[in-house]
Amino acid sequence: MSLTLAGREVVVERRPLPPLWVRAAAPTFSIGFGLLLGAVIIWATGQDPVLAYTEMVKKGFLGRLPLIGTLVIATPLILTGLAAVVSFRMKIWNIGAEGQLIMGAVISSGVGLWIGDRAGGLLGIVILLAAGAAAGALWAALAALPRAYLNTDEVISTLMLNFVALNIMNYLIFSSFSSWRNIERATFPSGRFIDEALRLPRLSGRLHVGLFIAAAAAAVLWWALRSTRWGFEVQVTGDSPRAARYAGMRVDRKILSVLLVSGALAGLAGGIEVGGVLHSLDPRALSQGVGFAGIVVAALARLSPMAVIPVAVFVASITNAGPGLQSIGVSSEVVLLLEGMIFLCLVAGEWFLRNTLRLQPAAGTRAAEAS
Amino acid sequence: MTATGDAAQVDRPDGQPRGEAARLTAITKSFYGQAANDEVDFDLRWGEVHALLGENGAGKSTLCSILAGLYQPDSGGIRLDGEQVELRSPHHALECGVGMVYQHFRLVERFTVAENLSLGHPNTGAVPSRRALERRVAELGRRYGLEVRPDAEVWQLSVGEQQRVEILKLLHRGVRILIMDEPTAVLTPQEARGLFTTMRALADEGRAIIFVTHKLDEVMEVSDRVTVLRGGAAVGSMDISGADPAGLARMMVGRDLAVSDRPKVEAGPPVLSISGLTAEGDRGLDAVRDVDIEVRASQIVGVAGVSGNGQRELAEAIAGLRKVKQGQIILGGVDITRAGARQRIRLGLGFVPEDRIHTGLAGGLPLPVNLALKAYRRPPLSRGPLLSQRAVDEQARRLEKRFDIRGVRWGLPTSLLSGGNIQRAILAREISGQPKVLVAASPTRGLDVAAIQAIRRLLLAEREAGTAVLMFSEDLEEIMDLSDQIVVLYEGRVMGRLEPEEANPEVLGMLMAGRTAVRS
Repeated sequence: MSLTLAGREVVVERRPLPPLWVRAAAPTFSIGFGLLLGAVIIWATGQDPVLAYTEMVKKGFLGRLPLIGTLVIATPLILTGLAAVVSFRMKIWNIGAEGQLIMGAVISSGVGLWIGDRAGGLLGIVILLAAGAAAGALWAALAALPRAYLNTDEVISTLMLNFVALNIMNYLIFSSFSSWRNIERATFPSGRFIDEALRLPRLSGRLHVGLFIAAAAAAVLWWALRSTRWGFEVQVTGDSPRAARYAGMRVDRKILSVLLVSGALAGLAGGIEVGGVLHSLDPRALSQGVGFAGIVVAALARLSPMAVIPVAVFVASITNAGPGLQSIGVSSEVVLLLEGMIFLCLVAGEWFLRNTLRLQPAAGTRAAEAS
Repeated sequence: MTATGDAAQVDRPDGQPRGEAARLTAITKSFYGQAANDEVDFDLRWGEVHALLGENGAGKSTLCSILAGLYQPDSGGIRLDGEQVELRSPHHALECGVGMVYQHFRLVERFTVAENLSLGHPNTGAVPSRRALERRVAELGRRYGLEVRPDAEVWQLSVGEQQRVEILKLLHRGVRILIMDEPTAVLTPQEARGLFTTMRALADEGRAIIFVTHKLDEVMEVSDRVTVLRGGAAVGSMDISGADPAGLARMMVGRDLAVSDRPKVEAGPPVLSISGLTAEGDRGLDAVRDVDIEVRASQIVGVAGVSGNGQRELAEAIAGLRKVKQGQIILGGVDITRAGARQRIRLGLGFVPEDRIHTGLAGGLPLPVNLALKAYRRPPLSRGPLLSQRAVDEQARRLEKRFDIRGVRWGLPTSLLSGGNIQRAILAREISGQPKVLVAASPTRGLDVAAIQAIRRLLLAEREAGTAVLMFSEDLEEIMDLSDQIVVLYEGRVMGRLEPEEANPEVLGMLMAGRTAVRS
């Protein structure tokens, strides 16, 4: 189907990649354009766009507390972003980071509660986080095994497993008297807290060492994709599975390993949220869509592991500024709209780097002229 | 008006029995500056099966696609039933009564036969009842020997049955000129027999059938007239009563081929031995049947044949990319029949596949990665699980210089290179791995003259260096120039074995078209 505009056909054409400086400047331009569109919306709802944007920068970045808030939100986002990067690099579409994160949180909090005060400090924390990563990987394996060996559609299976994970978590806290639940507070269901000794060390205020773990994960992934045989095989398989088979690579194992790593990263995000911020299994805080936001982060980072860090911080800053904006009268719906607008412009900007639109006389007109 | 009434009207062609159905005059069509059709004249009469014979790339499919409205000719005219027309689209061609059965079917797999028939029909808006449609399918099927279950979904049908659905679809649309592009390529011999009966019946009713093929026997069996295309030009038309297979083979292949001077090299011991090899094609039919081939060190064995006669499947079976159903493959004394691709590479098998951009290369990745595709498991490129990016880049720079790969822009996709340089890159990688056996499938297809010569020199140099080379090619000149031994494949079987001295275009042409006996 083609789009016509005033009797002319709109044609999409691919174009050669523009020079580096254009590619580097494009996101800035896109964000600016998104903010401009957002300004129109804010203005239309009767608020002052300039005031709103000043407030956004202030609440997102300026000062110690806003900065800490942004980085705390960015931490799991970096990990789910990496989870998307590693699978998307191989054109395996794991959109189940949400569920893998939740299962990571469920198991790491469970393990934490089971440990109690028997093992504190570094050992306890490592066990807690490892349990989260392992749970995420196993949850991903439910989709990965059939994908690798039976060629089922991983988009459907990973997506559906999100809902299964969500309901397991909700059941544990809201609908049962599981060992995760704090039974003393029957009217307002919530999770039991893990022992003080199992919580991630704090750096400043709410900021915890999870940020460093996430950043280290980005660096390790960057290195692994670049400097290991595994990374080389992922790269080749992603570009052409046929070429991979031709070169004697085991495509099924590559699919399996990539999805397990992806799931482990998302599960680690869940473990870090439990160990660093929530200290309990908190269904409300764990179902905010961090897994899905990771997909946006990965796309904006152009699937580059190191670029995931700044992009995650940027996305987190917008989220973090939300409540501040509401406090000056910008409604929460408008804040969400603003976020969407900026992301949309960023993605559109990426598209326009590679494609261009051209108008040409419509096919129908040409045929009519010919006959 | 219902679909049934519409088509029934055209079932009685009102043109005169032997009148002119279509006339194509001086059709020229170029792709990227290369003429696929060069001033081709072609005429078609009502009531005949007209074979269009030629090698791959002779321009058969292009000519048919122009008549079917898929391509617009650069110049030349088309008359249908005596009237000048411009066929703007396949849809328009259908309205004019011209329809084509493509090699790759255009069916909706999840729809039933009857649903596929109503799809795209002008009366789709007012769909005739399902029952009426199914009755119509059954009736048409009985009349022309095209029986299929009307309520079966297409994916459940065999390839031969799907082809019947394609023909039924066109008949239902009231097509009077039916073009069939290599229809027998996907059929078993029995199915082909059935198809010929159908074609005959349709022609006897007054329709005109164009039958595209490269198989001489089929031409002789079913057609009334034949037009031979070679290199994009029509080299002759004649009644089948006045044609003989040897003459047609000569017309199809054409040029006189001379054996060029190759340095004499004594062939060494056998390195690759294939015996009784049978392997299935993508459709599940046997594509390679009981093939025996032996290649010695310092020897080039050329496999000739029109493409689609099992060459790709045989090459893949040797490379470990296709399951062997029966038989044995021995490489350097080791039985590799069940070995994976990786083990075969390790044992010294080099492979230049037919599909360069997606199989021979990961086309979207830069050149250094592609040059490392086989060697990345070994030092110096990797140690244990670690890969040295620097060694990968260094190797690329070395091979780029040694094999004169031009136009490399570092960091950009390899597929942006020209065809000749892509092939040079693949050969650079395979040869630098110092293979014992080099399998090269259509190594020069689509390349320009200079690149062809460079690639051939590389293959000859490998032969001198002691490699056993198995080369697949449709280019007879290449086969005769390079081979120490020639094997001709036809329908997956070895049709003949020749020394280059006994080979000439006529003999090869006959063998490639499935004829053993050469009448002189």
